[in-house]
Amino acid sequence: MTPNPILGCGIGLRFQHIDQILAEKPPIPWLEILSDNYLIPGSVQQDYAIEIAQHYPVTMHGVGMSLGATDPFNSEYFLRLKKLADQLNPAWISDHLCWTSAHGWVSHDLLPLPYTEETIKHVVQRIREAQDRLERRLVIENVSSYLQYQLSTLTEWEFITAVAEEADCKILLDVNNIYVSAFNHDFDPCRYLDSISIEHVQQFHLAGYEDKGTHLLDTHGHPVSDPVWGLYKLALQRFGALPTLIEWDNNIPSLEELLAEAHKATEAHIHAFA
Amino acid sequence: MPLLELQQSLISALFQRDQLAEAAKLVKAQGSLSSEQRVGIYRNSTHGILLDYLESLYPVCLDLVGTEFFGRTAHSFMDQAPPTSPFLADYGAGFVTYLAEHPALQDMLWIVEVAKLEWARHAAWHTVNQVASDFAQLEGLSAAQQAELRFQLPASAHLISSSTPIHSIWLAHQEEYPDKPRLEEIDLQEAQQVLIFREQRRLHQTTLSADDWAFLNTLQQQATMSELAEQFAEQLPWLFSVAMQEGWIYSFTTD
Ligand SMILES: [Fe+2]
Repeated sequence: MTPNPILGCGIGLRFQHIDQILAEKPPIPWLEILSDNYLIPGSVQQDYAIEIAQHYPVTMHGVGMSLGATDPFNSEYFLRLKKLADQLNPAWISDHLCWTSAHGWVSHDLLPLPYTEETIKHVVQRIREAQDRLERRLVIENVSSYLQYQLSTLTEWEFITAVAEEADCKILLDVNNIYVSAFNHDFDPCRYLDSISIEHVQQFHLAGYEDKGTHLLDTHGHPVSDPVWGLYKLALQRFGALPTLIEWDNNIPSLEELLAEAHKATEAHIHAFA
Repeated sequence: MPLLELQQSLISALFQRDQLAEAAKLVKAQGSLSSEQRVGIYRNSTHGILLDYLESLYPVCLDLVGTEFFGRTAHSFMDQAPPTSPFLADYGAGFVTYLAEHPALQDMLWIVEVAKLEWARHAAWHTVNQVASDFAQLEGLSAAQQAELRFQLPASAHLISSSTPIHSIWLAHQEEYPDKPRLEEIDLQEAQQVLIFREQRRLHQTTLSADDWAFLNTLQQQATMSELAEQFAEQLPWLFSVAMQEGWIYSFTTD
């Protein structure tokens, strides 16, 4: 069955809002479901996700594939993800260009990769394997970062472009993450945008960061900041009015407030081409 | 340096503070932050994610011991037992044992009892759905088959027998509960038996009388109907009807 199309500006589904959404069925263009919260087959959590997917177009977004790790893939994780996808019929599945596991330990946090030719080869092979396991093309997201490795010989935009090209996957461009990393590593975010090939980008993320003085921290706990709205406008002009999603994970606001933030993104779509 | 070694070094620093300096050697020093501080940001964010999660699992314990103590204990727990599964909901059962062994809690082990209750709530919520038996079928069974009947509680059921009134303490910390007891009025020496189970999208938590507790416990040990009749004698019909009415019995088997 062809998934419902993802158009316009959606929101991330958060547990606090599920009952309200199911009861009121407000007009929401689409919802992003955090796969990792719904991976127990036959659980009540999955029932909620399935019910949401019956009423709204959805995508699945995860943090647990550990695409950049060197330890073997967790097969159970992929099996459950595939099963969930069979039930939700998402337009696509995304995860991050990063790693979350090593040594048998799992960080549950998105850790950056060293940007080298060797890492490209490794990650490309991993993404291909993940795509085979899930029987679909993946969408990979740029993470925000707070460190750069001595080993790195490439910029992040060179790295992500090469990976997407060679792995034949799509890119979820997180505009806030670009801004956060640009500040933290002192590069020009516009240069980043201009270097990403237009045909690879499938979706945008927007979120709020926290200014820690010495660095910006990607907390997803605030409204989208003005400079990120500015960068988003440039992104729309370069890549077109692609589906956009507001992420909010801490200090989660009311559904109305969250939808108002998504509405701002819709307005940016309109004004970007005015 | 191979990717494997780099990742092992960095993840070690996330869960072992004394590995920070080693991992920092992999990282460029930039601007006003040292490489060690940069690795430290990741240690903080990893710990922060797990702390938020543990706080969401154990909200009453958090209230009882305070944010400061809870945070310190949670951080040392994470370092001692880092997550090993990509399924976050699997993490945190060991926190109860960790609390039980904590020297500062040895005179307040009732707090650990509350932690057991909170883990049971989490586990019950995440238990997979099951199909209830059709109890109308009981009517068609022969007397011999009836004697061999065994009954099951919902798969999500947790029976907890505690030397402390965990249900009352838990209630005292529920904001939305109108007639909640006040913590200072609760007698911490009072024992309580508690049942937790999930019924579709509702989590039930209730105290049990000594009789109901004994009955459900015997059921859970897979006693047959004839064994139940022997143990509970004339009380059995009453115990049974209460358990059925409350949804404590979910299925039966005849073999
Ligand atoms: Fe994102």
